[in-house]
Amino acid sequence: MKAPARRSALVAWGIVAVFLISWEAGVRLMNIPVYLLPSPSHILATLADNPSMYAQASLLTLGEALIGLLLGVLAGAAIAVLLTLLPGIEDGVMTLAILMKSTPLVAIAPLLTLWLGFGVLPKIIITALLTFFPVLVNVLSGLQRVDQPFLDLFHSWRASRWEVFRYLRLPGSLPYLFAALKISAPLALIGAVVAEWTGASGGLGRTMWLAYTNLNLPYLFAAIFILAAAGMILYRLLAWAEGRAVFWQSISREL
Amino acid sequence: MRVEVSALNHTYPGKPPRPALAGLDFSIPSGQFVALIGPSGCGKSTLLRLAANLLRPTGGSIRIDGRTPAEINAARQVAWMAQSPALLPWLTARGNVALAQRFINGQNGGLPIEDALQRVGLGDIQAAYPFTLSGGMQQRLALARLLIQPAGLWLMDEPFAALDEITRERLALELLDLWQPLHPTVLWVTHHIHEALRLADRVLVLSAAPGRLVADLLLELPRPRDESDPRFQAALSQLRTCLAQAQGEAQR
Amino acid sequence: MHRTVILLLTTVLLSACAAAPTQPAPSSEPLAMTFMAGYKPQANLPFVGVYVAQQQGFFREENLTVTIEHSAGQGQHLQLLAAGKVQVTTQDAAVLLKRRADPGLPLVSIALIGQRGQQAYAALAGSGMNTPKDWQGRTIGYKGTPPPDLFAILQAAGVDENEVELVNVGFDPRLLTEGKVDVYPIYKSNEPYLIRSWGYDLTLWEAADFGVANLGLAYVTSEETLANQPELLARFLRAALRGIEYARAHPDEAVQTVLKYTGPETDADHMRFMLESELEDAVSPVTEQNGLGWQTLEQWQSLSEMLQQYDALPRLDAAQAFTTSVLQAAQEK
Repeated sequence: MKAPARRSALVAWGIVAVFLISWEAGVRLMNIPVYLLPSPSHILATLADNPSMYAQASLLTLGEALIGLLLGVLAGAAIAVLLTLLPGIEDGVMTLAILMKSTPLVAIAPLLTLWLGFGVLPKIIITALLTFFPVLVNVLSGLQRVDQPFLDLFHSWRASRWEVFRYLRLPGSLPYLFAALKISAPLALIGAVVAEWTGASGGLGRTMWLAYTNLNLPYLFAAIFILAAAGMILYRLLAWAEGRAVFWQSISREL
Repeated sequence: MRVEVSALNHTYPGKPPRPALAGLDFSIPSGQFVALIGPSGCGKSTLLRLAANLLRPTGGSIRIDGRTPAEINAARQVAWMAQSPALLPWLTARGNVALAQRFINGQNGGLPIEDALQRVGLGDIQAAYPFTLSGGMQQRLALARLLIQPAGLWLMDEPFAALDEITRERLALELLDLWQPLHPTVLWVTHHIHEALRLADRVLVLSAAPGRLVADLLLELPRPRDESDPRFQAALSQLRTCLAQAQGEAQR
Repeated sequence: MHRTVILLLTTVLLSACAAAPTQPAPSSEPLAMTFMAGYKPQANLPFVGVYVAQQQGFFREENLTVTIEHSAGQGQHLQLLAAGKVQVTTQDAAVLLKRRADPGLPLVSIALIGQRGQQAYAALAGSGMNTPKDWQGRTIGYKGTPPPDLFAILQAAGVDENEVELVNVGFDPRLLTEGKVDVYPIYKSNEPYLIRSWGYDLTLWEAADFGVANLGLAYVTSEETLANQPELLARFLRAALRGIEYARAHPDEAVQTVLKYTGPETDADHMRFMLESELEDAVSPVTEQNGLGWQTLEQWQSLSEMLQQYDALPRLDAAQAFTTSVLQAAQEK
């Protein structure tokens, strides 16, 4: 890691550490009961005491989230490509997409359970529904938003609509795709968890719900810690991938 | 390629409609380097875009070797270069030039990729990405890309406008070196009187919108242009006056 | 010699004839079904009956394969039952009647496990409230919509509903301990354990104490399943009731079985408390006379009338909401 990157990583860890220490101190000094707010040490101990349970739950939820994300990204990107190649149907398709996006999960989830059963499939579909819209909007924007000088150049080459798409629009939409991914990835985690709340036999969402209805807050927060960590790791992974894939956009991080 | 402009009018639609060119009439013989000068908004870019078939004239005609801009565009015989080099950032220098070749494959006449890159002095950094190149180098790369195309007409819209003075001068000389062996017809839009005089055989001055031809100056001076030559100076002051007049009209 | 042979043969023949009818008919074909508990895994008595039946092999003995699922508590279990994806679920008696009325779900109770409901109201012991008369001017929480038994209690105590502040709360007994509400709606078998474990004492009021009809959890099926698969239901109920009796006799073992379905976040003592509470309320004069889970028209009718009075429910035919046919079939054998 280069020096500035290492420094910023240290700063990040430092902030997290300060946050956790203040939380711990606050709970102890103010004698906050565990059913109102457990201390980080208690939460971490709960995690340590149930490694396999949390590991299994995490794997399941992460699996649902990632597969759902993949599906959502593919769907969103595919629709965006379609709308770019067939601009006439853009209004109609976007209206449908907005309708789908606006329908609250609570209404859709039970229907999906009804049609698809109790397994992971409804959770994956719900996650995909949640994640496809940012991808659709962003990738469409990226595909459509090409600067005039480029279009003029391609015109001088008498490039066909398909050639403009393949050589200009598609590669140019990559930064937009990554921007959407950075939004959709955390959404996918949330989606999988919320989907599990509406009925699941496993996963972090289920663990959280069971813990809450037992008002067992350490178990609840342990799951939340895992989700937070997962979200962070996912984001960092995406940022790294973006740096490699969209190498031409230098994101200067001069500290 | 010859360029013949006859009673050329162009008005942009809108509320109210915006007339850009009014009644242009001139003829450019094959191989002539023509500079287009005029106050802002006088329609210089519009004229270029009409020649490139990016616009269709609302009145009059423009013919290139007797054919319409659309036909010439279809044959990919017109090369285009603008102020923004429009280099694809995800391709290397060589990749950008190679892209042009993909579109004009099969046609004879243009330079091979390696030659084009060498000619503009970028042979050693072919693998570099555009974002690592300076403004001057980027425009050189755009030139290399242009050289790939076997084009009888070069349409160039202020290509050096974003560059500093020193680079402009240097690139102007390099451009002439590239142009001379191939000798296509060139339509070069610029704001820079010195640049026009350095490069062109002929300078056309347009009035403020709607653009009319107010001066047509033939420069029979040897290249490279000597700025101390009294004929150069005479042309310079003549152009200055023309422009000032055209500018003054614009302000009224 | 010949006489002995004839005697022997006759004896054998007679015993064969005698033996045949006394041998129980084999449980015919294997059947399979899905049971969906109406809430998350916990020691609600109908759930326990099924968990234990599964664990102890009672379902297997009935040649019945039962898949156990759990609802997230938002009503999907009723939808899935109506759609035929689930054959038996559980539901609170009052909600069953309401759902029959609106939106007209074809629900039928096949056994009333909770002869008395678990719904009650709690206040902190130190609050100085002794009777519902003391609710006057106080904040009272409700879950979902203000329940009919709340109004029934108010009326019985002579308190005007405009003189109390009703607040929609979710499941969060901390609202009571932190003083955000004065009276909190609870399930006797659930929240009191939690609240007491936090060190608080409670005063409880039950609707039954004020003459208000209140019934608990039932095993519920759909009209279609009842009509088409009575044998399946009988086998299920038989095994589940055995499971409940087993739990009554072996409560610790039953709690361990429940914990298999919950996770480590659930407290064994909490489950024990829940089991014991609900076992108490599974017994009534009706069950003492007719057996565990029995239900009468009188019980269902008085509940229905209470709902009509306080919940503005349209007129229902309570007789359609329950059946004793499955109970009878289950008791045969």
